[in-house]
Amino acid sequence: MGQGRLVLILVALAAALALPFAAGPFWTGLVTQMYIFGLLALSVDLLLGHAGLFSLTHASFFAVSAYTVAILQVRYGVPTALAAPAGILMGTALALLFGLAVRTRGVYFILITIAFGYVVWGVAHRWSSFTGGDNGVTNVPFPALGPLAVGSHTQYYYVVLAAIVLCGLGYRVLIRSPFGLALRGIKASETRMQSLGYRTSLHLYAAFALSGALASFAGVLYVYYNKFVNPVAASFPVSVEAALMAIVGGTGTIVGPFLGAAVVLGLRNWVSSFVEMHHAIMGVVFIATVLWAPQGLVGIAARIRARLAKGRDG
Amino acid sequence: MAEQALRVDGLAKVFGGLAAVDGVSLAVAAGERRVLIGPNGAGKTTLFHCITGTLKPTSGNVALFGRDVTRLAEYSRTALGMGRTFQITNVFPDLTLGENLALAIVGTDRRKWVMHRPVAAYAAVRRQALDSLERVGLEGRADQPAKLVSYGERRQLELALALNTNPKVLFLDEPCAGLSPAERQRISQMIAGLPRDITVLMIEHDMDVALGLADSVTVLHQGRVILEGSPDEVRANSEVRDVYFGHA
Amino acid sequence: MTSAILQAINGVSLAALLFLLASGFTLSFGLMRVVNMAHGAYYLLGGYIGLSIAEKTGSFALALAGGGAAIVVVGYFIDRFLIRRTGENHLAQVLLTVGVAFVLGDVALQIWGGDNLMVPAPAYLKGAVILPGDVYYPKYRFVLIFLGVAVGVLLWLLYKKTQLGAVVRAGVDDREQVNATGINVDRLFVMVSALASFLAGLAGVAGGAFLTLYPGAEWEILVYALVVVIVGGLGSLEGAMIGALIVGLLDAYGRWLLPEFSYFVLFGPIALLMLFRPRGLFGREY
Repeated sequence: MGQGRLVLILVALAAALALPFAAGPFWTGLVTQMYIFGLLALSVDLLLGHAGLFSLTHASFFAVSAYTVAILQVRYGVPTALAAPAGILMGTALALLFGLAVRTRGVYFILITIAFGYVVWGVAHRWSSFTGGDNGVTNVPFPALGPLAVGSHTQYYYVVLAAIVLCGLGYRVLIRSPFGLALRGIKASETRMQSLGYRTSLHLYAAFALSGALASFAGVLYVYYNKFVNPVAASFPVSVEAALMAIVGGTGTIVGPFLGAAVVLGLRNWVSSFVEMHHAIMGVVFIATVLWAPQGLVGIAARIRARLAKGRDG
Repeated sequence: MAEQALRVDGLAKVFGGLAAVDGVSLAVAAGERRVLIGPNGAGKTTLFHCITGTLKPTSGNVALFGRDVTRLAEYSRTALGMGRTFQITNVFPDLTLGENLALAIVGTDRRKWVMHRPVAAYAAVRRQALDSLERVGLEGRADQPAKLVSYGERRQLELALALNTNPKVLFLDEPCAGLSPAERQRISQMIAGLPRDITVLMIEHDMDVALGLADSVTVLHQGRVILEGSPDEVRANSEVRDVYFGHA
Repeated sequence: MTSAILQAINGVSLAALLFLLASGFTLSFGLMRVVNMAHGAYYLLGGYIGLSIAEKTGSFALALAGGGAAIVVVGYFIDRFLIRRTGENHLAQVLLTVGVAFVLGDVALQIWGGDNLMVPAPAYLKGAVILPGDVYYPKYRFVLIFLGVAVGVLLWLLYKKTQLGAVVRAGVDDREQVNATGINVDRLFVMVSALASFLAGLAGVAGGAFLTLYPGAEWEILVYALVVVIVGGLGSLEGAMIGALIVGLLDAYGRWLLPEFSYFVLFGPIALLMLFRPRGLFGREY
């Protein structure tokens, strides 16, 4: 890894560690959200940037895991040590079921994931006896593992930071592995991969499950931050925004989705302070990204770097 | 009698009323170099697709070393030893040459499922990839993205990919198409130098290359086999000449 | 009349509405390879505009026509200046049109507010009919069924029996073919697109006179239309018809028999389809 890169990472890490003290509770909360949704965007990008599958159902795993944690902790008094893993398990189980969608490709895959996502939202919305309907589940406590209990939002910020750094490192190993390379091969040419001996649908199914597990983990982090969960967490806009964050930041990278989350959440926060139409603003960002910056911020950065290099040599 | 590496019985592929392959049967002995020739539209590539599993035939059977593979998926056939190149170059453009080959190398074994070690940690894979690149004349280019190398070089990569899947029967679809004379030489030499424990079936338009490499030739016309024989027999046959140069 | 039959009529009336929306969506894809996720927003906006027309003029017929026409205009501009720029990149199309839907939704919210609104329909269409067994049943559901069948028959005739339909069918099968015959493909695309937009707007007015219009309705109806298209197969008119019937009936029976789990009932057929026929009943490999 280049010197410059290493320095950049260390600076970013230092800034992240210092944030709660330098910037106060509002920013701490906002950046925690950026971490959580960045992780959700990362899970979507495992499929989008590496396997070439555009899934619009990841809010399902996110929400199912959040609801599982919430219901277990609030209604049945189950401690974090069991509730959190249960959340991830439930979300991943759903991903194993929805992974059926990998029997299709292209447009069909996109539409089917949208439909699946709506089923989960619909269940959260209508099965009110269990999910609390539109009100959802509230009063979720901070996580506590025996003597180690999170006591404040600042403390939780560090928990989330540690979580995403670990996830990021694990993700890095995964995408550099033969499995990760195989996904990129499938994205480039599935027929070629099959002729090289790969059972591509199985690879994609495994990727879908892993991606669902990561989204579920984001859901666990989310519910402890938000302290409640309602059907909105499973809604279509959440899935679409996760994909948008990955694209705005730059697909196929590890930092891209987090950068994208920062941009999208930051923008929404800034805009909603003076205008009510935040969905419309999101819509404009989607349109603008598709038309003018399909490679996202990482792509823009690469283009700027290339132009600077040309300027130097030229 | 030498074991039959490949046996095809009554293979047919019909597209909406048109029979691209119309009842082809052939048998290739282990270690043989068989060349498939025929004018454009004779059904050669479609025949390859049906044998390797890229397409499902309308009827007929395919057996590899005596084992019926007609109902097996393409990836299973590769695992059993079928390797192929494509007529239209089908490499991975955004991946480096080294990565292209790594995919081929681990494609037929369990390493493709490893998720916890980087590809770069597999020294044996790297070495095999570098060896391959050298053999096809692409040494030193392992870290270049495939989309940046020339058409001819990508064709060489295409061949290298197929060779790295541990093939027992190799299907080459016009390996020399679009190559310069020097590149053609290199590729034909490579193919000629392949060990005899690999059986080779080749589609080729260039008569000199084809007849120079072949042990025997199968001539296809309008989806049917019209002649099978040694290169000399085929060269002398008037019907073949008609098909190529007269009325098709 | 038994509950089961009443539920069937419920299902068929929903199917009629869904068919209006799904037919345009599926033909747009079949011919132009365009996935337009703003179709639900077209429905909602068309409904709201029809509502305003009906309130101002008192004419339901004008509302239906006006709602449809307004969306033809909106759809044309979105097609020409936005969707065209995405080529056949489906990911880009989905993101772009979702963005458009978000914008349209918020604009509608600003203009018509967030309350549940209903398009005023003339009295002779509303009210109840008395069915065998002394059952009172909403007349309007039959109006919807009639509308759905009428449009279905018209589209069918257009698609299967006219020159234009033949060209569209050929185009759905093989676009190169249509290009080669020298027919003005651009104009064809604009026409099919306009038809799809009109049907969506019309559906909004027709639906809005019975189901209400509210922010979020555009996504709920779109998802149903998507399931119709998935089940029926992208690009197939027959698929849209049969798919709409299946989805409509499943939804009606699901809500009746398992109200809290009715969404599961919708999920069932998709899952089954995934296992046995991923491209839908009448779909083709794309």
